[in-house]
Amino acid sequence: MTDEPHETTPPTGSQASMVFDDSPNRFRASNVEQKFDGASGVLFEQAMAQTRMAIVLADPAQEDMPIVFVNRAFTELTGYSEDEVVGKNCRFLQGEKSDPAVVARIRQALESEDVVVVELLNYRRDGTPFWNALHLGPIYSTEGKLLYYFGSQWDVSDVRAARAEEQHAKMMARELSHRMKNMFAVIGGLITVTGRTKNIREEAAEINDRIRALGRAFETTLDEASRGSVELEPAVKAVLTPYDPDGNRIRFEGESLRVDPNVISTVGLAMHELATNAIKHGALREQTGEITLKWVAQADDGLEFVWRESGGPTIEKPECGVGSGLGIIDNLLKTVGGSLEHDWQPGGFVARISFPHHGRAS
Amino acid sequence: MSATNGNAAPVILILEDEAMILLEMSFAIEDHGAEAIQAPSVRSALEAIEKARPDAAILDVNLGRNTTCEAVATRLGELNVPFVLHSGDLVRQGELIARIGAEVIPKPSSSDHVASRAIALARETRET
Ligand SMILES: Cc1cc2nc3c(=O)[nH]c(=O)nc-3n(C[C@H](O)[C@H](O)[C@H](O)COP(=O)(O)O)c2cc1C
Repeated sequence: MTDEPHETTPPTGSQASMVFDDSPNRFRASNVEQKFDGASGVLFEQAMAQTRMAIVLADPAQEDMPIVFVNRAFTELTGYSEDEVVGKNCRFLQGEKSDPAVVARIRQALESEDVVVVELLNYRRDGTPFWNALHLGPIYSTEGKLLYYFGSQWDVSDVRAARAEEQHAKMMARELSHRMKNMFAVIGGLITVTGRTKNIREEAAEINDRIRALGRAFETTLDEASRGSVELEPAVKAVLTPYDPDGNRIRFEGESLRVDPNVISTVGLAMHELATNAIKHGALREQTGEITLKWVAQADDGLEFVWRESGGPTIEKPECGVGSGLGIIDNLLKTVGGSLEHDWQPGGFVARISFPHHGRAS
Repeated sequence: MSATNGNAAPVILILEDEAMILLEMSFAIEDHGAEAIQAPSVRSALEAIEKARPDAAILDVNLGRNTTCEAVATRLGELNVPFVLHSGDLVRQGELIARIGAEVIPKPSSSDHVASRAIALARETRET
């Protein structure tokens, strides 16, 4: 069988399309003294012909390491025919924008007979560039003598473009986040300075606290805003952390839940008002109280929060002007068909917030 | 080694390129009975420091167009002037912030809070 290599190519059926790559046969015909014979010869031939990975062999014994073999995937990838490339060094694929530092790494690897994997800009016969993920390594004979270098090429232009796009999106998100925080800071400055000149500092401070809570809630949503929905828990935590700097007063008990970004502002403001209320009248007024915040997705896209305070000072329902902030939130929720109910229970203040939609279904 | 004695109002340098925040911060410093020195750029901050050593400083980290507060932080370090960093860019400036190694207050924070931290630092350093 080894005497008649051409007969080993199956000329039938679905593999017919492979037959036309007879370059392995010609390679064997011109390298009769070498080791591609017997069963491994058949395997070599089949593998080379069928793989979609471009493969090149170069001869290190000859001057400037010329190509002695290319498979069809290589000629398809590069646009060069076998005749045009056999006998030449592979560097003809390089061009103006190929990185010399990467080429130097290849040279060093070849000198020290190492395996190397690099990504390098190469050019097709028609001049169009592509990103080549190039894998190079030595091939030894069974006696340990260096026979060839093999190279396999893979076009990774698409992968790189996707990576670059992702990188760009991340950069934009960070820039946006920075500008947004700055914007919130400027708005805060405006309110404080106005409050000062109009002599309504307390009111201004109260407004500012609300705006900052909103800013914290939104900040967590920027990185993933492009996904259309955002994770609820980080936003809730961002709003409440300043009221619990050591992280041991407020417990969060909620499932991981993605919500419509529009929900975040209302949730953020509501959490802020509840925390402010707790500082003034409830569990956060003294060092002992604790809060448990639970949220549960309801049927039909609803969302419910339960805010439960315990261990705080014995509270009596404050007489007047209580929770004007809570009143605002209740009104806010009513506009979208939700509600905030609260109750000054003897064990601690309890509030229940319901949202009719959180947008997960949409 | 401050030029002012222990009872005088501490002098706080504010480096901030956003005018409205600079103004707000100055008011907050004055509300605490301290004196605010306004610096809208690295250059004006460095000039102000050479003119009179402040007791503490508030430094905005990112001053636009690839400019950061690092030069000012370095100079203040040499003069043993304590400072807080006020930044809305903790992610991108993380490395720089770690290098400078000072207290960080994320933006946006209440100006009152930032001012009281800076004044506290000024007082601590005076006592030691
Ligand atoms: C088997 C083999 C395949 C190679 N394939 C490529 C290739 O696809 N693209 C490329 O830019 N360089 C390829 N090279 C590298 C170049 O031929 C050459 O070794 C490299 O440019 C470094 O040498 P130089 O500095 O003399 O040019 C290959 C080298 C070998 C030995």
